[in-house]
Amino acid sequence: MNMAEYGLLIDYEFCTNCGSCVVSCKEEHDYPVGQWGIKLHSDGPWQIGDDEWNWNWYPLPTDLCDLCVERTDKGREPICVHHCLANILDYGKIEDLAKKLVDKPKQLLIVPGFRPKQAKGEFVHRTNKADLHTAAHLQAVGDGHAEFGAHRHDARVGEYEAEAAKE
Amino acid sequence: MSDDYYKKAKAIPLPTLSEVNDLGKDWRYQDDGYTVTRTCPWSPPGCHPVGCGLKLYVDADGRLQKVEGDENHPVTQGRLCPRCIALKDYVYNPARILHPMKRHREDRGKADKWQRITWDEAFDIIKKEYDRIVAEYGRESIAIFSGTGREGGTMNPYGSMVFGTPNKCYTQSGYACYTPRLAAAVYVTGATYAEWDNAGALPDRWDDERYELSEVIVLWGKQPLDSNPDGFFGHSLIDAMRRGSRIINIDPRVTWLSTRSDIHLQLRPGTDTALGMAMLHVIISEGLYDKDFVEYWCYGFDELAERVAEMPPEKAAEICGVAVEKIYAAARMYAKAKPAGLLWGLAVDQKTNGMQNGQVIISLQAITGNLDRPGGQFLPGAGSGHNELGYGYDEGVGELKAKMIGIDQYPAYCNMILDAQADMMLKALETGDPFPLKMCMYQGNNLMACTSMEPKRWHDAIIKTMDFSIGIDTFMNPSVEASCDIFLPLKTVAEREGTVFTHYAPCTVTAGFMHKAIEVGEGFSDMEMVYELGTRLRPELWAKEGFANSKEFIEHFRLGKREHGAYFDKISQVVVSQVPVDYYKYEKGMLRADGGPGFATPTGRVELWSTAFNQFGEDPLPYYAEPEFGPVTTPELMEQYPFVLTTGARTSAFFHSEHRQIAYLRELHPNPITEINPQVAKRLNITEGQWVRVFNQFGECVQKAHISPIVDENTIHSEHAWWFPEEDGNEPNLYGVFRSNINNLIPNFHMGKLGFGAPGKCLICNIEPVAKNYDTNMDLVWEKFGKLV
Repeated sequence: MNMAEYGLLIDYEFCTNCGSCVVSCKEEHDYPVGQWGIKLHSDGPWQIGDDEWNWNWYPLPTDLCDLCVERTDKGREPICVHHCLANILDYGKIEDLAKKLVDKPKQLLIVPGFRPKQAKGEFVHRTNKADLHTAAHLQAVGDGHAEFGAHRHDARVGEYEAEAAKE
Repeated sequence: MSDDYYKKAKAIPLPTLSEVNDLGKDWRYQDDGYTVTRTCPWSPPGCHPVGCGLKLYVDADGRLQKVEGDENHPVTQGRLCPRCIALKDYVYNPARILHPMKRHREDRGKADKWQRITWDEAFDIIKKEYDRIVAEYGRESIAIFSGTGREGGTMNPYGSMVFGTPNKCYTQSGYACYTPRLAAAVYVTGATYAEWDNAGALPDRWDDERYELSEVIVLWGKQPLDSNPDGFFGHSLIDAMRRGSRIINIDPRVTWLSTRSDIHLQLRPGTDTALGMAMLHVIISEGLYDKDFVEYWCYGFDELAERVAEMPPEKAAEICGVAVEKIYAAARMYAKAKPAGLLWGLAVDQKTNGMQNGQVIISLQAITGNLDRPGGQFLPGAGSGHNELGYGYDEGVGELKAKMIGIDQYPAYCNMILDAQADMMLKALETGDPFPLKMCMYQGNNLMACTSMEPKRWHDAIIKTMDFSIGIDTFMNPSVEASCDIFLPLKTVAEREGTVFTHYAPCTVTAGFMHKAIEVGEGFSDMEMVYELGTRLRPELWAKEGFANSKEFIEHFRLGKREHGAYFDKISQVVVSQVPVDYYKYEKGMLRADGGPGFATPTGRVELWSTAFNQFGEDPLPYYAEPEFGPVTTPELMEQYPFVLTTGARTSAFFHSEHRQIAYLRELHPNPITEINPQVAKRLNITEGQWVRVFNQFGECVQKAHISPIVDENTIHSEHAWWFPEEDGNEPNLYGVFRSNINNLIPNFHMGKLGFGAPGKCLICNIEPVAKNYDTNMDLVWEKFGKLV
């Protein structure tokens, strides 16, 4: 497995569902209708108490998020970070972002993986495999009996025995 | 304006901006094979004039390849909403129209009958029809139907200097959008608007030494995040909240912002004025007002106190359907906060009682001492106002102003905005009284989808009465398809020069400049179109103005200079500037034309008792009037129509009726949504995502149900401005414009006494499930509009 180095820190307390991350990403990568590199998910509104509501939006990278490798290679932030209207997306090294988690609650640190199936690569047989067990050179000899039941051997459920195997 | 009025704004980088960035770049520069043009866009596509910073990346072939937010903009700081992010898909959309077209009058409503023509032919046809109609019926028989948010919407010279008609008309009943708030602001304070001060004009923004962070911000009938209303950058509010500002939200719906608010007053739609009067009463009776400000700078305080005493919070609580403790708490929280801001929204305008709603809001801002105060309400100085409003009016219209439709009945309205009164216009179209209307032009207006109430009435009247109609747009739309004989193409923001003043200029913090980055098709910008049409239709008038080309006109019209375009070229290179501002201007003689201290009102003070209201025959003090349709006024109708209907909440995907053919945006929000409370849905057997018929005594439409406690059990909310560009454009379908159109349910002729305000957000309705599924087919949208040309 590749080590993960970079991620996104999301202050979801202030995600307003503006959609700028979603559309920016599609424009940057030319993803068609029906595909996204980042998508908005929500929970709410539902009422907690008389005067309190749960309603959060979560921009979550999909398997098409490459953290804008073409941009980040040049030292720029991913396009969703650049355009986020509420400025709640931050890009950086995981260890640096992790330190910011203590700054406030309602944050999410997420490390996307781009097309993980592709990243795994094609299946290749292991080489230099040590066979841990080889079949023993013994021969089994049957006694001609067979039982046809899923019950335990010692259960008394009547006897159905196989006919003796034909010689 | 002196040259240093437009100084290059200082950039304030966001903390998330990388060290590799474009800070300090010129207005045009090279980057990795691209020519990058920095610009501040305003229309088309339509939007309120924020003029967000934009970088347009154009390749060696002259094609726009990429759009990015410009981190040099002091307010937007590189951030952009989806609509500009998808600008490329608008510019190169296969449905965009890039050349003039004509169609025979008898072929109106037939989508395949348009024929491409040259500009010369287009101008010849227009000139011939114009001369004929003017000779026969007079210039007053020409109607200019103006819309909202596009530069064309407020391009008054179309009416004054091109066609010379007094009958330019924003076609929404009661002009129930922004202008009632402007009128209330002008009548009470003499200043054209009072916006929450988001430090937008201060070089160090939130950290500027002159700024004080608002302790409390009240949102009144406003959802600034989706729409950047009136040119205010909505997400400034999030910036302030993250710095510690707390929110009071006044809204009939549970919004994302209300869930982040300290107090949410979830009032019955249309009852806002009662709430405002009660808040004033609490603040006055508990002595929480700014006594010095009231003593020295307000007029009519005792009369106001007496009037609002008629609306104790207990009474308002009953009217509005909110807990009385919340009214007390909100009034105290707002009054004790120093400073406190108040953002007042479209809901203020969209009721018959709207002017009074505006009056109580201004009064709240005034008596708490928040007018013209850092972090309170930002007031524009003397000389502010729509810079285009009266431009060329005397020369172009002159005495014909007397023939402005509605000017006798509604002088306050007509003189305020130099517009024919919208409801009277509909009457004139339908009856030919006071005179027949024979020619029309759509300026940034798709009225059958968006701005007009009972749109089928407008449709029928326009088609019947107009001899000749001109549509000006970037795309075909149902209104033009139904009624026009000529189509003239518009440039987009990427193809044009121009200016953008936030808040249309009545309350500006930044001035931005547009630069042309690409060429696409044969269109003009609205300002160029004014010049091209004007010089042909009225050559003598334009000869007197003496502009050698459209750029000279633009320079004079927008910047007040005549330097053959050199001034525009020089100044526009700053791309964006923060205009010089000051606070407490009433103490410094900066609000009045005569330079004296005080406000630009007849008494020189904030007129809590308004001379202007009084003079126009309206009550000088605020009063509450119930919505004309609702549980209190029409209990007999509530059995048939048991719900209060509110309409028009925005999404970030669209600007009103625009953007439906931009696939990435449509994907964000594919269908017109009606919000229904879960208990109501259970009772009426409606399931999530099912289509419902919404209907009342005026009309009906179908929308897709979203079941959510966003609305309470008494209220239904439906979206506005829907049409379906992927569908058949021929009559009678007209891209499905009347199928999901909530304006079918909204009447005309229910405006306030001064002609302002209309009940777009407080009617009644019933709903029922329908079996048919009208879901948008996104595959079709992608197939039709996804492949750029």
